[in-house]
Amino acid sequence: MSRHVVVLRVNGRRHRLGVESHERLLDSLRDRLGYTSAKEGCGTGDCGACAVLVNGKVVNSCLMLAVQAHNSKIETLEGLGTANSLHPIQKAFIRNSAFQCGFCASGIMLTAKDLLQRNTNPSRDEIREAISGVICRCTGYVKIVDAIEEAAAEMRGETVG
Amino acid sequence: MVLGNSKYAADMIPEDALRLKVLRSSMPHAIIKKVHVPKRTRRIKAFVTAKGIPGINVSSCIIPDRPLLAKDKVRCMADILGVAAAEDIDAATDFIDSIEVQYEALPILTNPFESMKNDTVKIHEDGNVARYLKLRKGDVERGFQQADVVVSETYSTQFQEAAFLEPEAGFAVPASHGSVTIVGSMQNPFYVRSAVARILGVHEDKVRVIQAFTGGAFGAKSDEVAMDIAGLTALVALRTRRPAALVYSREESMILHSKRHPFTMKHKTGVTKAGKLTAAEIELVADTGAYASNGPLVLLRALFHATGPYVVPNVKTDAYCVYTNNTTAGSLRGFGGPQAHFAAECQMDILAEKLGLDPIDFRLKNILRPGTATATGQILDSSVGLEECIAKVRDASEWNRKRSVWKEDCGRMRRGIGIALLYHGNSIGPEGVDRSSASITIDRRGHVTLRIGLAEYGTGARSGLAQIAAEILGVALSQITLEIPDTLTSPDSGGTFASRTVVMGGNAMKKAATVLRDKLRQAAAEFLQCDPSMVEIREGIARCYGGSPREIAFRDLVKSCLRKGITLSETAEFTAAGVSFDENTSQGTPYLQYTFGAVVAEVEVDTFLGTVTPLKLTTAYDVGKAVNPLSLEGQVEGGAAQALGYALMEELVQKDGIVVNPSMGDYYVPTSLDVPEIESFMVERPGALGPYGAKSMGEPPIDAPAPALINAIAHAVGVRIKSLPATAEKIISALEQAKS
Repeated sequence: MSRHVVVLRVNGRRHRLGVESHERLLDSLRDRLGYTSAKEGCGTGDCGACAVLVNGKVVNSCLMLAVQAHNSKIETLEGLGTANSLHPIQKAFIRNSAFQCGFCASGIMLTAKDLLQRNTNPSRDEIREAISGVICRCTGYVKIVDAIEEAAAEMRGETVG
Repeated sequence: MVLGNSKYAADMIPEDALRLKVLRSSMPHAIIKKVHVPKRTRRIKAFVTAKGIPGINVSSCIIPDRPLLAKDKVRCMADILGVAAAEDIDAATDFIDSIEVQYEALPILTNPFESMKNDTVKIHEDGNVARYLKLRKGDVERGFQQADVVVSETYSTQFQEAAFLEPEAGFAVPASHGSVTIVGSMQNPFYVRSAVARILGVHEDKVRVIQAFTGGAFGAKSDEVAMDIAGLTALVALRTRRPAALVYSREESMILHSKRHPFTMKHKTGVTKAGKLTAAEIELVADTGAYASNGPLVLLRALFHATGPYVVPNVKTDAYCVYTNNTTAGSLRGFGGPQAHFAAECQMDILAEKLGLDPIDFRLKNILRPGTATATGQILDSSVGLEECIAKVRDASEWNRKRSVWKEDCGRMRRGIGIALLYHGNSIGPEGVDRSSASITIDRRGHVTLRIGLAEYGTGARSGLAQIAAEILGVALSQITLEIPDTLTSPDSGGTFASRTVVMGGNAMKKAATVLRDKLRQAAAEFLQCDPSMVEIREGIARCYGGSPREIAFRDLVKSCLRKGITLSETAEFTAAGVSFDENTSQGTPYLQYTFGAVVAEVEVDTFLGTVTPLKLTTAYDVGKAVNPLSLEGQVEGGAAQALGYALMEELVQKDGIVVNPSMGDYYVPTSLDVPEIESFMVERPGALGPYGAKSMGEPPIDAPAPALINAIAHAVGVRIKSLPATAEKIISALEQAKS
């Protein structure tokens, strides 16, 4: 095992760290940098709880090595919005009571952000397709789809709620 | 939660914590001959085995049949022989991997029917039947004589895995004088505290348990696994004087925690040609795996609900909870309800078909109504909303039209519509004394703090408790803080299971809030110069109803009380009225109120591939009183999704005692592409037990969707699947059999 220096630009902040060659991006984010919103649900890329945006694209961070993310722009849930300035996606999820235990929240919301960046007016089927890589065991996805639909409307400039 | 700030157990592990890894059995049934532990490197700080347990080596639920750490014998591959603690998880894992265990293999029993009959291979000293229960009502022999049609069928269900998204995690921090604080992902902090105190051989006062944000539980985190993690981390923490953390991998999680009991259910049902049920003879055999866990109680609930929500004058049910060398089965949402309803509701459909009656019309001739008797002879009160639920789903799903029109489908894709009804006795009923406590304190800023030992893990039930307090005290929800369950400060409210949080915790909260409200009214009456009974506190202001225009703000009222020496802190306890039933016949009143419901499922079956696409679920539940409608809908939708998985795709496969698919890639949990549109209705027939008549809604939504889907498949393609899950292979096989 060797050590490498990587630069990760997370939520607009530049971090420079020494990582083991086998260290996953998920571990660097959670254990070294304190971004615990990304969760480990399975470690095998099957559940999406660890999903973050890497250079604008959704990635299961348990399947990416930290060294692979060198010099990448990374967005985690901590960067989506703040308590005083919630992102429309966050507002929609609160309004719709779309989360229950919250463990999939990060994976779902970042995947939603990725979808809405590419498609500003997705159908419910397109939403379901986009989030199919994140497992939610609690909600049955119904209110999650409602929330993403609403967030899309707000982001298009329509009034909601 | 939406900000990503919620801290789950694995997010809070102290920097200097040791990382633990467990040594699992590699045999399903064997004598442990020798454990070769290699020399420890400096990075390994402890390796704890059964010998190192100062107290009692037990981590179990109803029957103390399960050790925390296996000593002489392993009974399944989820048995843990020891735990290693190291500076990092890799070192701990390498150490565990280097341990060699010598076993002497014992014969393996994986079929509960064989296990029941086997007197030579004893999984436990007292034999392989962990519990036998029976229910006797009327005279089934006479009942069958009165029947014109008798249908006998056998149904079976599989091991279902909770598959919550957060794998189990917990850590222990040693404190002074042999005390320890444990933080973990769990459902019942007080049960965990008791278990750990026994394991450590100390008084409960030495153990403090805090429930971390828990990422889903569904019952599995109510059983042994939470006690295991708390016990193991506490043992290491006290031995090493370092914080100790244990986080299960997904594979460990799926092997080590309890699953839903597979049931084999034999039904013999008699009915007159006019469509009235006369007799039901039922045999339930549950595979509880190597340890009983909550099996005896799962069996009890299944026993009571086995006929389905119908009036059956004569019932004979025998139920067995049997040990095998499979990994343990225990609590899982529904707790015997999904199994019982699968068999009962498929049986009703077969009977309807034999009689040439519409499935709903046939059911309407037999459903429980106010004043009718259940299978235990309990006469129901007015709180039975089943008929209304049926009417709602029949109408909203366009049942009549689709039942006839979809029969015309003759191509490759065939549509079908099916129904299932349910009833679900609320709270723990006969399982023990049902008691809950809640504390409320109002501080000088007028801020309200609620303390209760019931946990949140996604049900949203705790927000219902806050709402009850807010409503009674007349303050906004924003003025209320609900503290996380901490055995040091929260009152023991019983376990967070059996969907009892709003029903029981809500009653305790209501009691405490009412006492405080009355104190405030008394104090306000003096200022407002009116009778206390005329005082109304709403939206943070106390006024005299229909009287003087004077008013006083909540905060000022509180300050004035505190200045006068009136304490605004109340702890209330609510105990449910006792239930009673005869242990020999199971006749009596096991539950004080029931949730009722009806679910209609619509599917499309691909006759070439055998695959099933659910098109829609229409549900209606008698919720008693909807305290938090949005939250209830969430339970309906989430429960439906889990039931859909149970019906069509989920199976934790155990072969020769080995869990074959302990991964999220090989155990199929419904994704967003699998769950269809769900329309939900709520009917309110207030129950006798819950606050404002509220009924349990955490579990009932998982009881009926599976048989509704199976009945829909039968309507679509004319074949009946009698074992879950209804995979494509089973459907194709059934279709081919039907052709020949």
